[in-house]
Amino acid sequence: MTRKAGFVLDLGRCVGCAACVLACRLEHGWPGSAPFRRVLPLNEVRHPAGPTYFLSLACHHCERPACAAACPTGAYERRADGIVRHREDLCVGCRYCEMACPFGAPRFDGARGVVAKCDFCEARFERGDVPACVAACPTEALRVAPDSGSAAEAIPGFRDAAGCRPSIRFTLPGGIRGARLTGLLRQMAERR
Amino acid sequence: MAARTIRTVCPRNCYCTCGMLVTVDEGRIVRIEGDPKNPATSGHLCLKGLAYARRATSEDRILTPLVRRRKGGPLEPTSWKNALADIAERLDRIRRQSGPDAVLFYEGSGSHGALGQLAFAFWHQFGGCTLPFGDLCWPAGLEATRLTYGANLHNHPRLTRHSRFVILWGHNPAETNVHQMRLLLEARERGATLALIDPRETDTSDLVDVHLKPKPGTDAALALGIGAVIVEEGLHDRAFLEAHAAGVDEYLRRIEEYPLQRVEQVTGVPGESIRALARAYGGTRPALLIAGFGLQRHRHAGQTVRAVALLPALTGNVGTPGGGWQYANLASHCLQPVPLPARPTAVRERFAVARLGDALASLAQPPLRAAWIEKANPASQNPNTAAVRDGLSRLDLVVVVEQFQTDTTQAADYVLPAKNLFEQEDLVTAYWHPYLQRRAKVFEPPGQVKPESEIWRLLCERFGFDASWFPTDTQPLLRGLLPPGAGDAFDRLAEEPLDLSNTGDVAFARYRFPTPSGKVEFASDEAARLWRVDRVPDYAGVDGSEADARRFPLRLLSCKTRDRIHSQFGNLDWIRDVERPHRLEMHPDDALARGLADGQHVIAWNERGGIAVALRVSHGLRPGVVHLLEGRSREEDPQVNLLTGEGVTDMGHGATFYECAVEVRGA
Repeated sequence: MTRKAGFVLDLGRCVGCAACVLACRLEHGWPGSAPFRRVLPLNEVRHPAGPTYFLSLACHHCERPACAAACPTGAYERRADGIVRHREDLCVGCRYCEMACPFGAPRFDGARGVVAKCDFCEARFERGDVPACVAACPTEALRVAPDSGSAAEAIPGFRDAAGCRPSIRFTLPGGIRGARLTGLLRQMAERR
Repeated sequence: MAARTIRTVCPRNCYCTCGMLVTVDEGRIVRIEGDPKNPATSGHLCLKGLAYARRATSEDRILTPLVRRRKGGPLEPTSWKNALADIAERLDRIRRQSGPDAVLFYEGSGSHGALGQLAFAFWHQFGGCTLPFGDLCWPAGLEATRLTYGANLHNHPRLTRHSRFVILWGHNPAETNVHQMRLLLEARERGATLALIDPRETDTSDLVDVHLKPKPGTDAALALGIGAVIVEEGLHDRAFLEAHAAGVDEYLRRIEEYPLQRVEQVTGVPGESIRALARAYGGTRPALLIAGFGLQRHRHAGQTVRAVALLPALTGNVGTPGGGWQYANLASHCLQPVPLPARPTAVRERFAVARLGDALASLAQPPLRAAWIEKANPASQNPNTAAVRDGLSRLDLVVVVEQFQTDTTQAADYVLPAKNLFEQEDLVTAYWHPYLQRRAKVFEPPGQVKPESEIWRLLCERFGFDASWFPTDTQPLLRGLLPPGAGDAFDRLAEEPLDLSNTGDVAFARYRFPTPSGKVEFASDEAARLWRVDRVPDYAGVDGSEADARRFPLRLLSCKTRDRIHSQFGNLDWIRDVERPHRLEMHPDDALARGLADGQHVIAWNERGGIAVALRVSHGLRPGVVHLLEGRSREEDPQVNLLTGEGVTDMGHGATFYECAVEVRGA
């Protein structure tokens, strides 16, 4: 059976440390290139009404990729293993994919006149390794396991409005906190 | 040439001290990964470790000696020959006119390695120098721990997974000890409860179960109050205390002075929260208490840490996997000293490093006339940096050994290009895990860069001193530093990190405490004798008059971030792209009271000066507390240390960075 590509982010483990971003940068040729991954802090002002957590995001390798639908030259293909691949040799730099992707995954590289995006570290994947960002994650919050975790739609701050069916899955902090915590301890968490 | 992978270690001043695997191809780093053979850091690095690939090739690197020919003029490239000839002549003149101790040798924590000690092979032959004593960072907590348990040792990090309850006290491992965070989260997934004590919300607080936010500087009262509840509820370990503790009766009398009502009033933490935490900590075994360095950046730091450090002993959580007191683990600090010429009498140690600005202005007989600064950036990182900068600018000669331009090189007459971690072999100890690690030489130094030991050797030759203290092949010297009986450990260090401490994974497993009483000391005559503090830890109040408190009602903290080690790494685009903006964080209530809005430019000021900074209104802070990250240079970031004062901690001669009161107004 072919391995399936797809990221899982454990929101109960991601501390937003950005090692994944730098690992991406190291892997994909540097110093010229920008990283394909970024970390978004949600509720950075720590408003007590909402949870505070980090989303480490790259390309979600969607089931119905908007980038591919928008590309006039057919530079995108979705492989059987789930990797949405961008072919630089077919890219004319029109940037339609950049506009179409609701997650900001494709990025125009002005110096080279083409778009670039996360390829799930294709070369590593093919020799059986996990992507560089996953390998680098110090808390093992970022993993490769496409069939676990909540559906993407369930996460506040992350919506699939365009119906792309992103392959990323999240593990919610609530899932590990569980009922083990007594009500008393919860009340103690001063949210002032 | 085929790519090769080299095992080495990160030498930064950081808990993790990660083992690293560096892959080099055609003279360039193509991969940096964590070394899976280090059981504590287990195959991962932080963003700073990964950024070494960028740092090593940074266009900002200083590659030649630089000279400033007149005060206020530019730094210009010069040759080693001319630089060292002029430096030697000027040092020699100062020595003849004023004595060797008119020269300050100032080392920071910029890069760890045993060979750093070779500087003294020069200074001892020079006839002496002036040295600061104490440390800017952690010495009060080290001394408090030593007085209490006899040694700074703690359990192997991997035992954290056995903990059932963990208190993180003034500690933010998600940012400053990320590998610890993995172990804590693992413990939590196995059922442990994590509690945090910190005046502000952090990346760590997002993942804990309980968070208490005391007023800064009141931790001693909180710890004594928690102790009082534990005893009141009968949760203390009578058998452990009977057998292994001294001075318990005096402690029991002391905590009677800390009823919940008083502790609530002092700390600002609701009494019921304190009671619940005390019950949960006292009632769960094994329970681990991990303290950071933040709670001891205050005047009464040592007594505070003593009060906190007693809680694991009170509950019998000592010498057990998953339990314990964690502050710093010096198990790897087992190296022999580097052989040096005899220390001359004219080595003058007369000021605490926190008071550098004052010392530069006021030391007499002789006054300071020159400074040699290595691995340090005092013009940005020391308290009251305006005084440090003034003091440096008045000296006849300032030599700074550096990789990059800093605020301190701005004050230099000479900047000598420093090696980086890949350019000289060395041995590196740690302070969280017990491993000694070997730093490998990966590259020849670029340009005209020379390792510090080579700079010292050349300077010795200039002076006609014995240069044989600096071997051209440093391997035999490093080999000789290993503890007796280490056998072939030096060669094995090329293959893996080694724990040569013989202390085992569980600290104090045999309940042998190298204190005067041989027990955990709840009361310490030694503390009273050495530091003139109460034998039993006490809360001493917050310093400063009420008038001052009205004038400067906000407490400014400058906590450490994931993005940098003090002023290091802030010059790199890879870090700048992902790092937190340097803004003054303030609670909405405090912003509202001053009519300030998020994003607005404000002035934070006190009697030492003012800094302009953008405001970030955040619910994460305790009202009355503001926060700003340390800056790298005055041109790039707001400089918090223009506001911090030159106070010295009650023990250990530390600095009191968090004893900083300010007011904030619109710019």
